[in-house]
Amino acid sequence: MIIAVSGKGGTGKTVVASFLVKILSKEGDLLAIDADPDANLADTLGIETKKTIGTVREELMRDRDKLPPTQSWRQKLEYDVMGATIETDTFDLLVMGRPEGQGCYCPLNHVLREIIDTVAKNYDFVIIDAEAGLEHLSRRTTQDVDVMLVVTDPSKRGVTTAQRIKELAEHLEINFKGLYLIANRTTKESEKKMSDYAKEVGLEVIGTIPEDEKVRKFDFEGRPLIEIEDSKALNAVEKIVKKLVKQ
Amino acid sequence: MSKLPVDVGIIYEGERIRKANMYADLAGPKSKGAELLKVVAASKVKDGSVTVIGPDLKDMKEGSAYPFGVSIEVSGKKLEEDLEGVFERRIHDFMNYIQGMMHLNSRDIIWCRISKEANKAGLGLNHVGQAMVDLFKAEFDVIEKIQVTFYTDDKKIDKFLKDARAAYEKRDAKVRGLKDEDVDTFYGCLLCQSFAPKHVCTITPSRTSSCGSITWFEGRAAVKVDPKGPIFAVEKGEVIDLEKGEYSGINEMTVERSNGEVERVYLHSLFDYPHTSCGCFEAIGFYIPEVDGIGVVHRDFRGVTPFGIPFSTMAGQVGGGVQSEGFQGMAIEYMRSSKFFAADGGWQRTVWMPKALKDRIGNDIPEDVRDKIATEEEATDLDSLKAFLKEKNHPVVARWKEAVQASADGGIAVSQFEMPVAGVPMAGGGMTIIFKNAKIYAEKVIIKRNDK
Repeated sequence: MIIAVSGKGGTGKTVVASFLVKILSKEGDLLAIDADPDANLADTLGIETKKTIGTVREELMRDRDKLPPTQSWRQKLEYDVMGATIETDTFDLLVMGRPEGQGCYCPLNHVLREIIDTVAKNYDFVIIDAEAGLEHLSRRTTQDVDVMLVVTDPSKRGVTTAQRIKELAEHLEINFKGLYLIANRTTKESEKKMSDYAKEVGLEVIGTIPEDEKVRKFDFEGRPLIEIEDSKALNAVEKIVKKLVKQ
Repeated sequence: MSKLPVDVGIIYEGERIRKANMYADLAGPKSKGAELLKVVAASKVKDGSVTVIGPDLKDMKEGSAYPFGVSIEVSGKKLEEDLEGVFERRIHDFMNYIQGMMHLNSRDIIWCRISKEANKAGLGLNHVGQAMVDLFKAEFDVIEKIQVTFYTDDKKIDKFLKDARAAYEKRDAKVRGLKDEDVDTFYGCLLCQSFAPKHVCTITPSRTSSCGSITWFEGRAAVKVDPKGPIFAVEKGEVIDLEKGEYSGINEMTVERSNGEVERVYLHSLFDYPHTSCGCFEAIGFYIPEVDGIGVVHRDFRGVTPFGIPFSTMAGQVGGGVQSEGFQGMAIEYMRSSKFFAADGGWQRTVWMPKALKDRIGNDIPEDVRDKIATEEEATDLDSLKAFLKEKNHPVVARWKEAVQASADGGIAVSQFEMPVAGVPMAGGGMTIIFKNAKIYAEKVIIKRNDK
């Protein structure tokens, strides 16, 4: 199951992604993909990043004409992607890194997507922390997503953003089976309102996450969110997972 | 197929073994290794034998990395040394067919992994070797005898690594010399059609894709992975002009893939029917009429060409999948090709390129012209370029003299020896006139509509 978590910065998208990794890595083999250069999934998962896919790609771009003629860069890239995979006892992580610089990356990105698609098939769960622009998803990571979760703050504007992300995904020909809204930092009254707003534009709220003191504390102290045990937000994501897996 | 403790089949291709499920790492970034397939005399092969020099899988420490050398020797009456590389690439496929075994890349940068399940099932290197023997024989009838040797001993592998590297070098040297006339299949690439809908890239041994990413070998590998993908095989067909690089198969393919927009392509010339340019070429080759020479500018160069315009401006005019005579988007690697604008004189006609590019190509520039090619340090405009070429007596200078001679003989004042005028009648009665490096002086020019 490939789950992409998207949303604008500051909505708590990475919190949701981290909790999904925490919960689902107990259920099967899991690959987390940090595909938002402005987020810090690796950090919230308590992992020090070594090499990003972006670095691997830049190095290949720079050095490919120095490769021996019988060395296929496609296969070399496959090797390097494996080398850049951060392997922990409970899950693996790929950090996509910055978008490319000058020059033509079409063939490289095309092959990269093929490789990541192949790699992804080896896992029961793939969790992608995707940026709102979905650039990485469409061009470098994968176009096949089972579930797209859009995290939003409790506001009508947040719903509009979700609607835009949905349109964007369709425009970029990202195939998804379901797209749901997660309203973060909700209160009792905003919960109901969000669900109404969403209905108006034909979106479904799959769950809401209450304001969580623990998450705020961990964030403030820069501690990995994955270390949080038993919190309101974690429980809420667990509920969402149950709904997702049931489908 | 011999009986193995694990399954063997194409469905296991693409299998990745996670560290959490890994029994042992073989070669890879934490150790060393290589694979080499050699064609040898029949007397040297004990058919079907598998030898392991060093610890076998069961004797390895769980979770560790070991050296891994794979030596496969084959013999057969019809076998040639040239097939070694082709066969050797199949080790990657065949090892991946084994359930619980992962194999990445090739040559001396391989990485294999054995899963905990495979180890539990009792998989040994003798089994892996047996699978190689069976799969190679099943796939290639020409292989009559085959033997496999694995090196996992940290010391004893070193000689094998040295031999393998020497063999690769020999093979690479041969491959570098591969030319268009040595193969029957070229490759086409449509990856850029989203930006340049009429553009199709032709990839041959002598012409890397304009973006610099797809060599002929890479094209071959891509087609094998995905035959229906954006990179596809093209039979080169009849050779229409070897020097210019015109082939019937390429012309037909180009007509089809460019929706009829482009009918002919010269792979190795800037003139008449140059290869179209996508938008993401690494460099541009351009004709400089004033000195009758060729310049090359690459994407990273921020300065201006002798024309007074930078790469970006030129790229805007050249790209988009059109044939623009005298200009062509190209790979930097193309400058290493023996057919580098060969029809136009190649290096003997190359007069300018940025210093960074010249340094990068370095010794691949023929020695006799290397110092005669100007960079932005010697020439920033046409006048300084002309002066530099004259001072260095660049081969193009001889062409100027011929042109002057022609002019003295009573011709019009042109500085180019040949001045083809191409007139292509078009539907609706229009026509295109191309003057190459022509200087026309007139008191008055009147253009009138022809009302029949």
